[in-house]
Amino acid sequence: MSEIAFLLNGTPVRVADDRPTRTLLDWLREDRGLSGTKEGCNEGDCGACTVMVTDDSGSRALNACILFLPQLHRKAVRTIEGIAGPNGALHPVQDEMIAHHGSQCGFCTPGFIVSMAVAHLNGSSDHDDNLAGNLCRCTGYAPIVRAAEAAAHRPVPDWMKADQDLSLPRMSPEGSGETSGLPGAFRPRDSDALAAWYLAHPDATLIAGATDVGLWVTKGLRDLAPVAFLNGVTDLQQIEQSGDQLHIGAGVTITDLLQAIGPLYPSFAGLLRRYGSVQVRNAATIGGNIANGSPIGDGPPALIALGATLHLRRGDEMRRLPLEQFFLDYRKQDREPGEFVAGISLPVSAPALRCYKISKRFDQDISALCGCFNVTVDAGIVTAARVAFGGMAGIPKRASATEAALIGKPWTRATAAAAAEAMALDFSPLSDMRASALYRMTAARNLVIRYFHDLEGLPVSVLEVGS
Amino acid sequence: MPKDHGIGASSKRREDVRFLTGKGVYTDDLALHGEVHAVMVRSTVAHGSIKAVGTARAAGMPGVLAVFTGEDFAAVGGNPAGWLINSRDGTPMREPKRPVLAHGKVRHVGDAYAAVVAETYEQARDAAQAVSDDSEITELPAIVDMAAAVANPGNRVHDEIPDNLCFDWGWIEDNRAAVDAAIKAAPHVTTLELVNNRLVPNAMEPRASIGEYFPGTGDYKLTTTSQNPHLTRLLIAAFVMGIPENKLQVVAPDVGGGFGSKIYHYGEEAVVLAAAKKLARPVRWTAERSESFLSDAHGRDHVTKIELACEKDGTFIAFRTETLANVGAYLSNFSTATPTFLHGTLMAGPYKVPNVYVNVKTVFTNTAPVDAYRGAGRPEATFSLERVVDKMCRELGLDPFEVRRKNLITKDMFPYTTPVGLAYDTGDYQATLDKAIAMADVAGFEARRAASAAKGKLRGMGLSTWIEACGIAPSHLVGVLGSRVGLYDAATVRVNATGSISVMTGAHSHGQGHETVFAQIVADKLGIPESSVEIVHGDTAKIPFGMGSYGSRSLAVCGVAMAKAVDKIIAKGKKIAAHMLEAAEGDITFEDGKFAVAGTDKAKTFGEIAFSAYVPHNYPLETLEPGLEETSFYDPANFTYPAGAYLCEVEVDAETGKVDIAAFRCADDFGNIMNPMIVEGQVHGGVGQGIGQALLENTHYDENGQLLTGSFMDYAMPRADDVPFYNVDYSCQTPCTHNPLGVKGCGEAGAIGSPPAVVNAVIDALHRGGHSHVTHIDMPVSPSRVWSAING
Repeated sequence: MSEIAFLLNGTPVRVADDRPTRTLLDWLREDRGLSGTKEGCNEGDCGACTVMVTDDSGSRALNACILFLPQLHRKAVRTIEGIAGPNGALHPVQDEMIAHHGSQCGFCTPGFIVSMAVAHLNGSSDHDDNLAGNLCRCTGYAPIVRAAEAAAHRPVPDWMKADQDLSLPRMSPEGSGETSGLPGAFRPRDSDALAAWYLAHPDATLIAGATDVGLWVTKGLRDLAPVAFLNGVTDLQQIEQSGDQLHIGAGVTITDLLQAIGPLYPSFAGLLRRYGSVQVRNAATIGGNIANGSPIGDGPPALIALGATLHLRRGDEMRRLPLEQFFLDYRKQDREPGEFVAGISLPVSAPALRCYKISKRFDQDISALCGCFNVTVDAGIVTAARVAFGGMAGIPKRASATEAALIGKPWTRATAAAAAEAMALDFSPLSDMRASALYRMTAARNLVIRYFHDLEGLPVSVLEVGS
Repeated sequence: MPKDHGIGASSKRREDVRFLTGKGVYTDDLALHGEVHAVMVRSTVAHGSIKAVGTARAAGMPGVLAVFTGEDFAAVGGNPAGWLINSRDGTPMREPKRPVLAHGKVRHVGDAYAAVVAETYEQARDAAQAVSDDSEITELPAIVDMAAAVANPGNRVHDEIPDNLCFDWGWIEDNRAAVDAAIKAAPHVTTLELVNNRLVPNAMEPRASIGEYFPGTGDYKLTTTSQNPHLTRLLIAAFVMGIPENKLQVVAPDVGGGFGSKIYHYGEEAVVLAAAKKLARPVRWTAERSESFLSDAHGRDHVTKIELACEKDGTFIAFRTETLANVGAYLSNFSTATPTFLHGTLMAGPYKVPNVYVNVKTVFTNTAPVDAYRGAGRPEATFSLERVVDKMCRELGLDPFEVRRKNLITKDMFPYTTPVGLAYDTGDYQATLDKAIAMADVAGFEARRAASAAKGKLRGMGLSTWIEACGIAPSHLVGVLGSRVGLYDAATVRVNATGSISVMTGAHSHGQGHETVFAQIVADKLGIPESSVEIVHGDTAKIPFGMGSYGSRSLAVCGVAMAKAVDKIIAKGKKIAAHMLEAAEGDITFEDGKFAVAGTDKAKTFGEIAFSAYVPHNYPLETLEPGLEETSFYDPANFTYPAGAYLCEVEVDAETGKVDIAAFRCADDFGNIMNPMIVEGQVHGGVGQGIGQALLENTHYDENGQLLTGSFMDYAMPRADDVPFYNVDYSCQTPCTHNPLGVKGCGEAGAIGSPPAVVNAVIDALHRGGHSHVTHIDMPVSPSRVWSAING
């Protein structure tokens, strides 16, 4: 069945015979005449195209510009045109935006309204976080944040709850719909189907959240065929604890990961809070973040410091390796044709894990460097150490000389300082527009000192760090 | 109790509901029957000689309807600079032709040298790539650095301009010798070299244009993202394409922010019109964000040396500046006015400094054109001045508050003529300074500093006392200064027969809320509900004329034109009322929407008079024309001069160099306030952009002229978390003396006054923290720069 079905502002729609890499934004504006959703950048940075997407796991804000139609199958989409009530009554966030003068030129406004309405629906009150994915050039933001604060006290309108009681399963039974998608796209329902298909199509592009692949299409104009969409592969979207290990499927979004690991690794959660924006975290998956192999991805350094084991699958063959061994060289990973990232497993206990992201801006910014530390101290002596950095080499990389300078030594500031010196053996960072080599090296070394203070209970927070 | 309607009320914006529900109609939202798509072919090198534009393959690709190159526009005119500036020696500026599409050479990355039109956007993109692949462009050495551009006469952006200089401007040249002598003789001179960082305006709506041509009548229609549709029409008609103005309609519908970047006419507008004529189909073009970064006019980009001569007690004697101002590869429409008359004339600031001399050398480089961006020249002047004043205070151990207080023009001195040619009509700079100090609880600063220190942070406070000249207008003055156009504005007030009112204004609203505020003014003057008044803007076919919205001029110029047109309506209404009420015209009063005979209970409502004007059964037809519609063109006698004092408090983490804004207070004098809510919003937005410039934003070209900061991932726009809640006050009001509304502009103030307050606060924090060797940090004051300054 080469079609997809979803709810659009409460109305069932079916799409067939469209390109699988057609973005929701283009489809809304060009085919449906719904021009309220705006294109401000087409790269997922500005949030002017924000829409609300609801499925079994709840309602989320997503960037429509890098969201492909097959990703919406069996979900509910609500655009700016569906935020006011059916009788024209304004949503509380719309009311408060008027009262607080939160709109000036109005172009970014629909995206803000959708982000605010989703946060309002979900009871999320960290407005700087809720709005980090939306750019406004007119207002200076304060009036918008005030509007969000004011609206938080008002009840959720009934029509906003309608999507959560999805009539989609009735509308479009999943049935045998393994190929349910669009022509040229494969949409497996489990990892067995994915593994078989990918083995037969090793040149295919696997699309999970599309926060990077989306740009290959919208900016690179690449023809990706054949493609597989992984959003139906529910067995890769699970987080399970067994014994002292936490297993995280590759298809888990950063948002879900953030929620799941918050109590276990609060510092890693703090780092993920600064991963992209709400819209990006809602789409992006941890498997995509790893498989992409970017030297500046923020997930891998933390996972390496945690001691993550990577699970790869090729056909029926499963393979495990320490995550740091997956990254071979710039954009080159230890992955065979037809092999895909299935998940990772992590030790559930890592009380000494600390993650530091250095970037120019708190939110939605690429790291100049990202340093993650995890030592075990027994009777005052460091017995184990895992230190990993992003942004310091062509790959996310462990700092083995730094670790060696820690292990077996007393846990003192002097040891930390000596380990910081050893970092010169681990890294020869680049100078680029984000930071100079000297800045990177100096900041990375200082992070070792900061880590020492952090474990000693001095006031150090990932939220304070920036380049 | 605050007013709930009319002048001075915080009326809620009538624009909001359509924006908040996604029903705004921006250029790219329009879908026209039979439309086709244009895509520009842009240079990937900063400087290159075009040997061949490869159109043959593209022309045969699926869906391709036309391919245009620079050759197709070689015979039409160039996009002109609006101001003629003369160099110090009297020679006119060098004015290279800015073609619709690059011809012969490409001069910056993103310079469009061809355009493809196809049935679909994707087909046009594919064909544009083919043109790019098939074209032969020989890369030449890029000219990026201004000093190198001037020093290396052999490498030329424009072959006919040997030293890459557009002009070498002195203001005021007659001051030069006296300023030089004063500085030589002064007891103290503070010198500061600084950079005013280049910015990308980044209105959230990318530029977009749709061209239409109607063969039956020969009419053209351009729908475009413009701050000033009439000016765009004038430029296209009179200079570029030679279309009679009455055959070209320009419409700027809802426009998603401008900040200066949408004042200008751009080549894409001419391309879609030419293509529409050739194909007799609507032709649309919308910029991608990458194209916006590469081809929108950028802002700022000055390198300045400023000297401040003073007595040992801080009394100013003279200022002298030398500036290199980047204009990029071509002269954009206001690019020659921005570093000169919007900059040099403000270099006295709000101070009673006896003498000032400003020198600006404007330089061509292989970068995108640079032009006015929110504040335009005035932020550059204010930043130079307020930074050097602070530096002087530190050198002499003086209090920056007291030094400013001592040097501010006092309110008994107005009107005050500055040594750089402006006559400030009114102000009270001590009052705004006092207000800012009161708002900031300056007395409590030491306790806050100690609290920050306890957290390991350095706290500092920075002051900026700023002034600007805005309400860009007086035609006779700008004419003397080199403007090639007049800068009056116009409005028509049409009272419809049934009493509703349509107001056609030359100002264009792209975020400023004109539809609300202008209606408040008209309703207030006529004593009718605001809902009876409709504001029409953005369409040359509907409105009489107008020079558009920029330079904080909408209210002070166009708003006043509208008020004057209302006065004419009232005057005519009195004549009609006098006839109907059988009284002498001089005895008719107009109040609260009623025309009455003074001292009697005889009266007619405004609605009755309007009806009578259109149904003139009882009407003085022999002396008065029927109808009730008046137009006013208003050309002010002077600029308006808003001013204020901004106080910024920062916390600096000396370990990482990170700066957090702890508080930002603005005390402004905007004269009379029409809508406080909107004024506050304008200040918030301006300060937000100023903080962006001060802390985050930088436009970086590498040595090959490649733009490295070409996306929102690489160009750090402020996000919600990066800016504080601001405290804004506008209670110090000295009404403008020469416009009847008593208003001054408020749109640019925040962007003008805030950057030096931020940087002064950072330097203050470092000094209080013992890092007294740091005398200056260039913007953006990023953590790495702060850290390097501390450790450097």
